[in-house]
Amino acid sequence: MRPNTVGWLMLAPTIAILGIFGIIPFIYVLYVSFHQWNPFGASPDMIYNGANNFRRLVFDAEFLTSIAFTMKFAFFAVLSEIALGYLLAQLFMKEFPGRGFFRTIHTLPLIVAPIVVGSVWRLMTTPSIGIIPYLLKSWFGYDLNIGRDATAAFALTVIMDIWHWTPLVTLTLLAALLALPKEPFEQAQIDGANRRQIFWHVTLPMIRPAILATVFIRLMDALRTVDEVWMLTSGGPGAATRFVGLHIWKIVFPKTDYGYGAAISVIVLYLTLVMCWLLYVALVARRERKRTF
Amino acid sequence: MIKKSGIGIAALALSLLAGVMPAQADFWSDAGAKYKGVVLRGVTESTPPSNYIKDVLAPEFEKKTGIKVQIETTSWDQMYDKAIKDMEAKTGIYDMVYIEQDIIYAYLARNFLVDISKSLKDDPSLKAAEFNETHFTTFANYFKNGSGDLFGIPMEAFIKVYLYRTDLFSDPKIKEAFKKETGKELAPAKTHQEYTQIAEFFTKYGKDNGTELWGTTAQAHTGHPASWYEFFESIAPTYGLYNWGIDAKNNFAASVANGGQMNSDKAKAAMKYWLHLRDIAPPESAASTWTEVGTTFAAGRVAQGLVYGENAAWIASDAEKSKVVGKVGVALPPTEPDVLKEVEAGKGYLGYYDGGAFGLPVTSKNKQAALLFLQFIGQDSVQPDWAVAAPRITNTATYNDPKVVAMDKKLNGYYTMLKDQGKLFAGAPPFPFHAQVREATTPIFYKILLGEVGPDEGLDQMAAAAEAELKNLGYRK
Repeated sequence: MRPNTVGWLMLAPTIAILGIFGIIPFIYVLYVSFHQWNPFGASPDMIYNGANNFRRLVFDAEFLTSIAFTMKFAFFAVLSEIALGYLLAQLFMKEFPGRGFFRTIHTLPLIVAPIVVGSVWRLMTTPSIGIIPYLLKSWFGYDLNIGRDATAAFALTVIMDIWHWTPLVTLTLLAALLALPKEPFEQAQIDGANRRQIFWHVTLPMIRPAILATVFIRLMDALRTVDEVWMLTSGGPGAATRFVGLHIWKIVFPKTDYGYGAAISVIVLYLTLVMCWLLYVALVARRERKRTF
Repeated sequence: MIKKSGIGIAALALSLLAGVMPAQADFWSDAGAKYKGVVLRGVTESTPPSNYIKDVLAPEFEKKTGIKVQIETTSWDQMYDKAIKDMEAKTGIYDMVYIEQDIIYAYLARNFLVDISKSLKDDPSLKAAEFNETHFTTFANYFKNGSGDLFGIPMEAFIKVYLYRTDLFSDPKIKEAFKKETGKELAPAKTHQEYTQIAEFFTKYGKDNGTELWGTTAQAHTGHPASWYEFFESIAPTYGLYNWGIDAKNNFAASVANGGQMNSDKAKAAMKYWLHLRDIAPPESAASTWTEVGTTFAAGRVAQGLVYGENAAWIASDAEKSKVVGKVGVALPPTEPDVLKEVEAGKGYLGYYDGGAFGLPVTSKNKQAALLFLQFIGQDSVQPDWAVAAPRITNTATYNDPKVVAMDKKLNGYYTMLKDQGKLFAGAPPFPFHAQVREATTPIFYKILLGEVGPDEGLDQMAAAAEAELKNLGYRK
């Protein structure tokens, strides 16, 4: 076997960047997570405290609540984005007047920075001032107050995320649908399959890799969402939208509890990996195993 | 003849000499010459006073000294995030950082800042004649160490005042209706009872008349620490509860059981009073920070409220942003009976003396040039225009300037109150663990606001959480 020097040379810049900006900071975070370190404490030094930070977070009700809310948020947001994104992608596959125009403008939310999205939604939802509470009151007599209604605030964070990220899903699935060969569909039609059967047995299996990739990307994004929610609700009311990314931010920056914040970050990374692995096993590996038998 | 021609030659020589000598420069150009081309970088919160530094004072300084100044104005959170990270990591990106009064103790504890007084004493060539530390108001004391050395140049200072709508309070029909309902004359409240009565009256008045008017503001955000600050800095002191109820001299006790006051009867009464006001305030109050409280008042949606001084000024004077220009009165916050006497006797404070200074991080790579800039913004001559453009006063020489006197009239005596009664207000307590205790207790505080836990039980939990955090930080033994 001859050594592929050129290949390694070409990979070297990527490996260097990954090492400097990914692996080294991760190792540092891991190191910090085993220490008690608050620079504004009576002793600002880093003190090794073994696994105490990890033990602490198991009993930390605030952390566990934030994890639960984050899971709920990720579930509703990602599921809705995939469903809506697929429907829009199917719509954009069809010919209709202005299709090009709509295809273009539906991607506009993607180019808006999350912090701006949060600000705009905050303006639109501020009680007494925003257009959304105004319309809900005028049309349905419903008083929307995101400062007091935890369910409404949570729902709004999900809706805002759907508004922002569904176009990404649409684009990915549209690309996958456009790349599908025509023959399997024609064959299915000849065999007398109806639209539902074609969707379940032809379209879905063929675009599964694209769906999975999109789900992984969106899931990881949803689990670490911070800026949009910070602008919209600041994590409130109470802890209703204090998702884990925001929780880590509050622990690390205002509270400057670096050791504990690092421990939470490590655990959240681990949870994200486990979730993605479980999803992969459930949707891909099992199916591939069946196929080999 | 010889004498005459000699004088003529001497005069000619002198004039020729003067012609070839460089012009006599002032202090700024002389002192700045050594640092010409240096670029100073500062980070601050985006507020009118900071924007004035960025837009007016920095270019003026650059013109006089040749030292470039880049001021980055950003949000409150980002400003702290950037400054602390820079000083913590010792990267030396910033030569000037904004120090809000409540964080100075944490910065001093970490030795983040340069001793300005000592640095100027050690190198007199940097000392500007126009800069005089003794001209600052007493607010500067917050930025001094035990020896009286200054660690920050005060650049803004405000008091959180009681604002009321003069047009509503003097409307004969409203006055009559108020008297009919309460049996009292309508006048700015001096006690909590009076304030509550006025608030209830105006909220009902707005509802009955179908107008968007409520009786009071409430800075009661359920996810942002602004609400926590309103309670501990503005409401609790008017009940005689100071320093968040934490007794630093008694092993940092917070709970009554250990000698603190955070869950005392005074705290519980204050909380109930404030929660009631929140309930009769405009609906946006549950999502309001200090900014939204200002805009609510400026939109003419409330009859009275506690408003930060930096907002009070534009509400009263900026017709482009405020609907109530010329209709704003200023008064001291209402208190419990006897609290004002206690405060006047120097045993407490009435509300929050807010503000900040510009400090020089020890990690700065351009300390000498930065010292020049800090003196430039602290000198007497730049203060009056600054005070008019962005209402704030940190220098005693500013009060009597005709421009400031005229502005004071516009603000209905706000500056006079700052000058005469500023001593009744106080900044945050001298705790180096400010943000840490706040963040440890806010989750419970928000639960109280949402009614998930009662005020009494909630304050008990907060006191316990504060003590646990202080123990964790190593302050409480």
